[in-house]
Amino acid sequence: MGRTSNGERNAGETVSVLTRMMRSINVRNFGWATLLRGGPIIALLLLVLYFSLASPHFASIDNVKNIGQQNAYLIILAVGQTMVIIGAGIDLSVGAVMAVSASIMAVLATQEITLMGTTFGPINVWIAMFAGFLVGTIAGTINGLVIAKGRIPDFVATLGMMEAARGVALLVTGGLPIPSHLTATELKGYLPDPIIWMGGKEFLGIPTGPLIAFIMVGIGWLILSQTVLGRSIFAIGGNKEASRVSGLKVDRIKIATYTIMGMMGAVAGIVLTGRMNSANALMATGVELKCIAAVVIGGTNLFGGEGSIIGSLIGAIIMGVLGNGLNLLNVSAFWQRVVMGIVIVAVVIFDQWRRRKFGI
Amino acid sequence: MKVDHYLLKAEAIDKRFPGVHALENVDFDLMASEVHVLLGENGAGKSTLMKIFSGTHLKDSGRIFLQGEEVELENPHHARELGIGMVYQELSLITSLSVAENIYLGRLPKHPTGTVHWAKLYEDTENLFRDFDVHVDPKQRVRSLGMAERQLVEIAKALSINVRILLLDEPTSALSGEERERLFDIIRQLQKRDVGIVYVSHRLDEVPHIGQRVTVLRDGKKMGTLNVRESEEGMLIKMMVGRELKDQFPKETVKIGNEILRIENLSSGGKLNDIHLSLREGEILAISGLMGAGRTEFARALFGIDKIESGSIYIDNREVSISSPWDAIGLGLGYLTENRRDGLVPRLHVSANITLASLRRLGSFGFLKRRHERSLSERFIRELNIHTSGVHQKVEFLSGGNQQKVALAKWICSHARIMIFDEPTRGIDVGSKTEVFRLMSQLVKQGVGIIMISSELPEVMAIADRILVMCRGSITAELKRGEATQEDILRYAVIGGE
Repeated sequence: MGRTSNGERNAGETVSVLTRMMRSINVRNFGWATLLRGGPIIALLLLVLYFSLASPHFASIDNVKNIGQQNAYLIILAVGQTMVIIGAGIDLSVGAVMAVSASIMAVLATQEITLMGTTFGPINVWIAMFAGFLVGTIAGTINGLVIAKGRIPDFVATLGMMEAARGVALLVTGGLPIPSHLTATELKGYLPDPIIWMGGKEFLGIPTGPLIAFIMVGIGWLILSQTVLGRSIFAIGGNKEASRVSGLKVDRIKIATYTIMGMMGAVAGIVLTGRMNSANALMATGVELKCIAAVVIGGTNLFGGEGSIIGSLIGAIIMGVLGNGLNLLNVSAFWQRVVMGIVIVAVVIFDQWRRRKFGI
Repeated sequence: MKVDHYLLKAEAIDKRFPGVHALENVDFDLMASEVHVLLGENGAGKSTLMKIFSGTHLKDSGRIFLQGEEVELENPHHARELGIGMVYQELSLITSLSVAENIYLGRLPKHPTGTVHWAKLYEDTENLFRDFDVHVDPKQRVRSLGMAERQLVEIAKALSINVRILLLDEPTSALSGEERERLFDIIRQLQKRDVGIVYVSHRLDEVPHIGQRVTVLRDGKKMGTLNVRESEEGMLIKMMVGRELKDQFPKETVKIGNEILRIENLSSGGKLNDIHLSLREGEILAISGLMGAGRTEFARALFGIDKIESGSIYIDNREVSISSPWDAIGLGLGYLTENRRDGLVPRLHVSANITLASLRRLGSFGFLKRRHERSLSERFIRELNIHTSGVHQKVEFLSGGNQQKVALAKWICSHARIMIFDEPTRGIDVGSKTEVFRLMSQLVKQGVGIIMISSELPEVMAIADRILVMCRGSITAELKRGEATQEDILRYAVIGGE
């Protein structure tokens, strides 16, 4: 009995020392202070602890790199989705936007294209990548425009985009994986190096996928916590009418949010294509719900107005660690989905309980 | 042993919330066919006491007797079964359902097959309404009703379970004078049926109209119970705030300057006809009228929220076009909305709310000047005396009066020179009201022109330099300070020009 209370006191002291440290280096705006107060990061630490004990391979450097490489695209999507959800929206089209961006990029970079009588290509890989990026961005802008100007719910507009973008991806690829042995020209079965580098190589010992993901996290954090746009997104998500009365250009901000989401979708598509050395029209099916889950696990309010990028980063890592750990423990893929579902709900229940209890 | 003639008797009720001693040893009683008014500032514990009687909150200690029998109220359902009905301050109707469905929600009459017996539902509702002479169509959606009608539906809902005790939490805060009289009629009818009513209010002027006894709470303590006949306003105010509010509505003489705003022939959507108005620096112009007279519509049109069909707006004698709040703010307008919830972002912190209308000034290359923002917010928190734990406190955790000050700070921060205040004192306590008026005085001294929309006639008469009265979308009278009596204003508001 005495031992238990002693242990608790020590834990309490450790936390308070940590909090004080954090205060002293003044990183309040960074979101750490909020994080340390509980929730997602505790869940992540427990998961890491459990898997490290249960599997000797889990904590190895190679495996950590592997987790990063596998989940980079999810983190990138979660960054965009966090902004959308804080703005009281939701984007169901992210998987389809990834696929259409990646497909168009891969087709441009590997195939001969005949357009209006002239045949050209495969074109320069950097231009192809830029084209893919542009496609995602435009898809996002269209989402924003339809929602803001058409005055329809975000859910419906992005559901429409989800179908339409998949359709375009199928049209562009003809339903084949790209590069395909049937159509790819000189490269045959391979994508150009720069694309593969994006998702499957290392830079100064750091795998490139996670590297790009962390840059995106940085950009997302900067936008949300340091810019006028970020503040406006929070305000609109918290109270649209009050924001309008306060002179915020609600429509423009909505469009900007979805445009950033589209960019993130395109980047995620390029990274995933690089890792898989292939793009196809049906890639990344179902990731929209996965990245929404990551955002919600990270403590962002589904009704808008509250949330953080760092929380979503941790949410995405939780999902990645869970998948990887269960694989290492030889849990069947079917059971993995059951566990994943339970964990999503459990983390959010815990988070809600914590908020009610401590009123944070 | 004496026969207990009290309908409800509470002894030594105590309730603590984290960090607050909400009720301290409070006694309260209610007799049959009595209206017992419960007065107190915001945070005095009125609503907490109500919620204990209605079973929403559990008391920490103390005893409650219903007709002499001790009861433990466990939950709202239990309280209802014992004949205690409550009408909440925040209306709790489901706007997408019909009036009848709302009233019998959770206990809709059913056919033996388990499906809803619609005919009986509507008939029951009509019978209920007929009893109280209410004219609302039971099949109408609540969404299409005005505030007053919604309030009546809410009361009908409480009455539909044959209550012995009715708890009314600030029922008139959204009602106009006429609508209030309707409500009072209904309350009097209930009294005839031996129903006891606890009536929570901010409005002192209502006390003699409706109450028999009045109990004043302050900071969770009971200050005393008086017979209404023996009480007078000054005494009640003194009990509520602990000091005499001699200058309850301070009005200072301010030099009236040049015209800053002129509106000509403004019309819009049949709700506003041919409005003319001019406002000068340092002037407080009140717009009075009943609910639905078009006052809020006017404010929204002027501020660019709703479209203007025709008319011209001149600021500093220059014609301007305002098609969005963005334009309005750029031209130096500010708009304190009627409903605080439309003016604030509750989940954002104090600082973000204060600077929300000034973001264009606080950005450099799209980045927020956070240090500047912080110092601005700290200044306003200090100057307006906003009670908050800091700039990062979320606005939803502030009291009504402090929320209103944050909303006000937002427009001072945006350098508004023409301010529209729509019901600036609604739902805030006497102390905060005085502070709001003090701030208005300070603003006009700096040359700001204020358009104040208010239904509180004594406030309008005390603070305004000129009073415009609106009726059915038109301005029906212009009265100078000291020229008008409350009766005059009401007459123009109800019957229009003649």
